[in-house]
Amino acid sequence: MTIHRVIRKVQRFEGWFGGGAVLCLIAGLYLGLIGSPPDYYQGEVVRIMYIHVPLAHTSLLGYTVLAVGSLWYLWKRDPIVDNMCQAVAALSAVFTALALGTGMIWGKPTWDTWWTWDARLTSFTVLLLILIGYLMLRTFVDDPEKEARYGAILAIVGFVDLPIIHFSVEWWRTLHQPQSISMRGVSISSGLLVPLLFMSVGMSLLFSYMLMVRTQLLYLDRLLHAKKGRLLSQFHLSKSDS
Amino acid sequence: MTSFNVIRWIVWKDFVTELRSRETISSMVFFALIVILIFSFSFSMDQQAAREVIAGIMWVAFAFTGIIGLGKSFSTELQNDCLEALQMVPEAKGAIYLGKVAANFAFMFVVEILLFPMFVILFNLEVVEEISLLLLVFFLATVGLSAIGTLFSALTVQIRAREVMLPILLLPLVVPVMIAAVEATKGTLNGDPLAMYEQWLELLVIYDVVFTVVSFWMFEFVMDS
Repeated sequence: MTIHRVIRKVQRFEGWFGGGAVLCLIAGLYLGLIGSPPDYYQGEVVRIMYIHVPLAHTSLLGYTVLAVGSLWYLWKRDPIVDNMCQAVAALSAVFTALALGTGMIWGKPTWDTWWTWDARLTSFTVLLLILIGYLMLRTFVDDPEKEARYGAILAIVGFVDLPIIHFSVEWWRTLHQPQSISMRGVSISSGLLVPLLFMSVGMSLLFSYMLMVRTQLLYLDRLLHAKKGRLLSQFHLSKSDS
Repeated sequence: MTSFNVIRWIVWKDFVTELRSRETISSMVFFALIVILIFSFSFSMDQQAAREVIAGIMWVAFAFTGIIGLGKSFSTELQNDCLEALQMVPEAKGAIYLGKVAANFAFMFVVEILLFPMFVILFNLEVVEEISLLLLVFFLATVGLSAIGTLFSALTVQIRAREVMLPILLLPLVVPVMIAAVEATKGTLNGDPLAMYEQWLELLVIYDVVFTVVSFWMFEFVMDS
């Protein structure tokens, strides 16, 4: 039960994560929206990057945590790790959806279309579908142990699949049309990099903070259910005695 | 019983049940015919347009019929508690997985072979010269579909709403197989030189190897209870 102790220990610093996230995000937003110059080509529009890119990075980070947690669960069968997996999947789904949404908003003025079958856009959509499938799967299993096990299997298979999906979509797009936007050859100046760094760190901290709160919530919920079951059975037993 | 015997008996059992009931393959073939019919209603195609989209239609039909076959693969085991009997087999669970993959692969491949002439006739395709290459594409893509599909068939069979959950979970994961199969099929049907779509065959091989190994490993966790 060492993982229990580790999680408890980290949980004690929950507030630091939340506070750090607020500070980093405020600093990043100030630098990004006011402190940094507009882009030479894209003008003010480029500022959505400071939200979009950290969201996308954080959701990928979240999926990695989900896969590692799932492996850990299959290995040790520790229920609190499963609570963490459930929490991280829901949060990753939200962050992925937000990344897609901000990407579409960014795409409208720069590519003049809400949607294009760009490689990254397509693989993020598939990622979102996998995460929603994961969350749906969990609601359809009655036994909590089975729910955790099946979820972990799906998460691991999906994690192995993601790079293959990404490469296949990239090949597919480059065969059909020239890539709509390429970041290669464009060096990011430090005026853009510093706020991006702040936002990335802030978003990861925010994600970790939300993850801790949600994990704790699910953990307590499970304890409550167990207690309720015990009390109910005691009640029935005492009734049958009298 | 050795593991190899377990594989053999499971394949034999699935074949015999199929021969006696003729449920899976016939429903797959008829469903695919309906899909083809609906596609030809949805697009009015001349021969040139048909050549562009035929590979896509083909693989949509194959994937949907494959899901029917995969869903039946484990849901038939629910009758008379056969699933529990399978779980009690003392050999490694991986043997059950491999047996089921082999049976599912065989059903899907047979259906694809039966359907291909229908495509040729209904869409006025020119008869392909490199039929062996086309068969290779079918083979590789079907191995990928059945390797990962069998795992999810076993996983969804014990949950609520399994008929809905199998395609919802499976289809996003087989995106690479679908893309590669469509591109490679298009290449063979157009008679392109092999070098133009070789990379898709390589992708299919990589996918097959990776997901046979991963699913083989994960199947142990699906079955343990």
